[in-house]
Amino acid sequence: MGKGGVGKSTSSALTALHLASKGHKVRLISMDPAHNQSDIFKTTFSDKFLKINNNLSVKEVDVGRWIDKYLKEMQEQVKRSYSYLTAFNLENYLDILKFSPGMEEYALLLAYREIRNSANEADYLVFDMPPTALTLKFFGLPDVSLTWLENLLTLRNKIIEKKEIIARVKLGKKEIETDKIRNKLYKQIEEYNSIKQVFKDTSKTSLNLVMNTDKLSFAESQLIVNNLAKFDVIISNVFLNKWDNDFNISEIEERYKECKLQVFPLSETPLLGVDTLNSYLKKLSGFIEI
Amino acid sequence: METKELLQKLLERIKHHWKLYDEATRNTAVESIEFELGEMENIFGLLVLGSFVGLPSPPMQITLELLPEMEKHFTLMLAKVDMANEPVSNLFSVFDIM
Repeated sequence: MGKGGVGKSTSSALTALHLASKGHKVRLISMDPAHNQSDIFKTTFSDKFLKINNNLSVKEVDVGRWIDKYLKEMQEQVKRSYSYLTAFNLENYLDILKFSPGMEEYALLLAYREIRNSANEADYLVFDMPPTALTLKFFGLPDVSLTWLENLLTLRNKIIEKKEIIARVKLGKKEIETDKIRNKLYKQIEEYNSIKQVFKDTSKTSLNLVMNTDKLSFAESQLIVNNLAKFDVIISNVFLNKWDNDFNISEIEERYKECKLQVFPLSETPLLGVDTLNSYLKKLSGFIEI
Repeated sequence: METKELLQKLLERIKHHWKLYDEATRNTAVESIEFELGEMENIFGLLVLGSFVGLPSPPMQITLELLPEMEKHFTLMLAKVDMANEPVSNLFSVFDIM
C-alpha cells in the first residue's frame, strides 16, 4: 500500500516474481480499480487467474461484478422472504444501492475473502492494493462493522429477553423460536472477527508500505501507519521505490526500525514486461524475506 | 346420575371461566412489556433501516444482510408513523387510563 503513483503495482509485481522464482506458488491479485498489472506484464488480465509461468498467476478483481453479484443475491433473498416487497418500494432501492458509499470496499472484502478461501494450492497471495483512501477503508471495514454489529446484538438480546418473558407469562413456554436476526448478527460478527484476526496476524498478513524519497510520499506513509494502528494492523515491510544514490536511507531506517526495508533503485528504463522485471530483480543486491 | 352430570358440567364451566380469567390477567400482566418490546423492535428497525428514512445507518452490507428478515420491522415502522402524532393517547391505551 502507499500513495498513488509511488509504485505499488510495480513493487507487488516484483515481489510476486521474486517469490515465484524461489519456487513458491504465488498468486498476484490486483485490487486497484486502476488495474496496472496488465500494463506492467504487457498482458491482458481478467477476473480469472492467468498463468504467467509455472509458479505465478495473475488476476484483476472486477469490483463492479462483485457488487452486482452481491446485490443480486440479496435481492433474491428479499424477494423470497417478503410478502409485500412492492409496497415498500424496495426493488427501486436495491437498484440504486450499487452507487452507495461503502459498496466498493465491501466488494473488495468479498473478493478478498473468496480468493483467500480458495487459495489452498498457493503459498503466497500478493495483493496490489488501491491508493490510500480506499485501502484504509478496506482495512477499517471489519472494525467499523463490528462496532455496529456488537451494539445491534446487545439490543437484539434485550428484545429476545423481553420476548421470553412474554412467552413465559402468556404461554408458559420457556423457549421461543430461534431468532433469525440474532443468528445473522452472530454470523456476521464471526466473519468479521476472523478477517480482523488475519489482518492483525503478521504471520498470515504481511503489509508492505511502498514509498518514494519525496516529502509527500513520506507524509502519506506516516498517515497510513497511524491510521492502521487504530485497527491494530501493523506494517511489516517498507519498500523504498525509485531510490537514487544521493538519497540517504538512514532516516527511513530510523523511522521504521521495526520494519524490514527493501530498496528498489530507480530504473533507467520503464519496468514493463516479465523479462525486464526479471532482469531488474537479478540486478538487485538482495530481497528481504517476506 | 343427574347430580353427577350436573357437577361435571359445573366443573367444566368453572374450568372454562378460569381459563378465560387466567388468559385475561396474563395478557394484562404483559401488556406494558409488549409495548416496551414494540418500542425496542422499532428502535432496532430504525437503527438497521435508518437509510430508508434518512437516519445515520450502519455500513450498507449490515443492513443488506439483515434485510431479508426485516419485513416485520418495515411494517412496524409504518405503523409507528401512524401513531407518531398521538404518543400520549397511545400510552393511555397501554396503561388503560380513562
